[in-house]
Amino acid sequence: MNGSSGDHETLWRGPLLAWSALLALAAISLGSAYLPLGAGNVAVNLVIAVVMAAVLAIFLMDLRNGTTLVRIVASTGLFWMIFMFVLTFSDYLSRG
Amino acid sequence: MTDLSGALQEPWPDLRLQREAVGLGMWFFLASEVLFFAALFCSYAIYRSFNAEAFRIAAAHTKIVYGSINMVLLLTSSLTMTVALRAATIQLRRLTLLSLGATAALGVAFLVTKGLEYYADINENLVPGPGFPLKPAATAIFWGLYWIMTGVHALHLTAGIGVVIAVMTLFWRGTIPVQGSTMEGVAIYWHFVDTVWIFLYPLIYLAGRS
Repeated sequence: MNGSSGDHETLWRGPLLAWSALLALAAISLGSAYLPLGAGNVAVNLVIAVVMAAVLAIFLMDLRNGTTLVRIVASTGLFWMIFMFVLTFSDYLSRG
Repeated sequence: MTDLSGALQEPWPDLRLQREAVGLGMWFFLASEVLFFAALFCSYAIYRSFNAEAFRIAAAHTKIVYGSINMVLLLTSSLTMTVALRAATIQLRRLTLLSLGATAALGVAFLVTKGLEYYADINENLVPGPGFPLKPAATAIFWGLYWIMTGVHALHLTAGIGVVIAVMTLFWRGTIPVQGSTMEGVAIYWHFVDTVWIFLYPLIYLAGRS
């Protein structure tokens, strides 16, 4: 072992913060699901899910320190997924 | 202590670039995985948009306690996985192995919880087909998607647990050094499986609670 106590501290601090934030967000999402918001429920739940995924990707998957190339590749999946949703919905929602 | 001879592979001049390359390769793979799961989420979105009330009725029958326990288990496994990766990078071999062990254990705990949930679902006949108890008929679409989406996710997690145990064994035996680039790919994949659950949780368990 060659890690000092300083190493240990920085090693745990960031991930623990991200983990606490993720748990808090999950709890808020769960609580909000029981409020009578109508269509607002799924909107709140999905916004929270997107924020959680962002926290996970940026801090735990470490895109924060990723190179531009890694960030571009990581966002391609998202990019093509948006196309999939837009084209599929434009078909179904425009049918008579 | 720094055993570069075992960790560094051709053609990389240093470990930082080698780790980056492994991460990049994993992100390419995950971009295709995103589309694989996106197709399922897109089906869910289309069917839900046309059968909103049926989905609300059907989703109310999911087991939110099991789903929420699994959310906590997976988020915590992402914490231990991140610690494992960071510990590996600064060559804390023991902490790497312990964190990987905790990650695999949390993954197994998830699968056990999922198994209990599936058992309860089957006992209530919540499998589309003869004897499916819910009305209207479109509730069966939700439950069909439930089995496929959570099933495929569980398969991904099972693969992840297998990889974590395999990597642990290789680290344990000293076949590959912990500070190499292996952990980079393993960690990113594990976090991805967690991310899928982050979206499955609200769509499957939280729909129909209000």
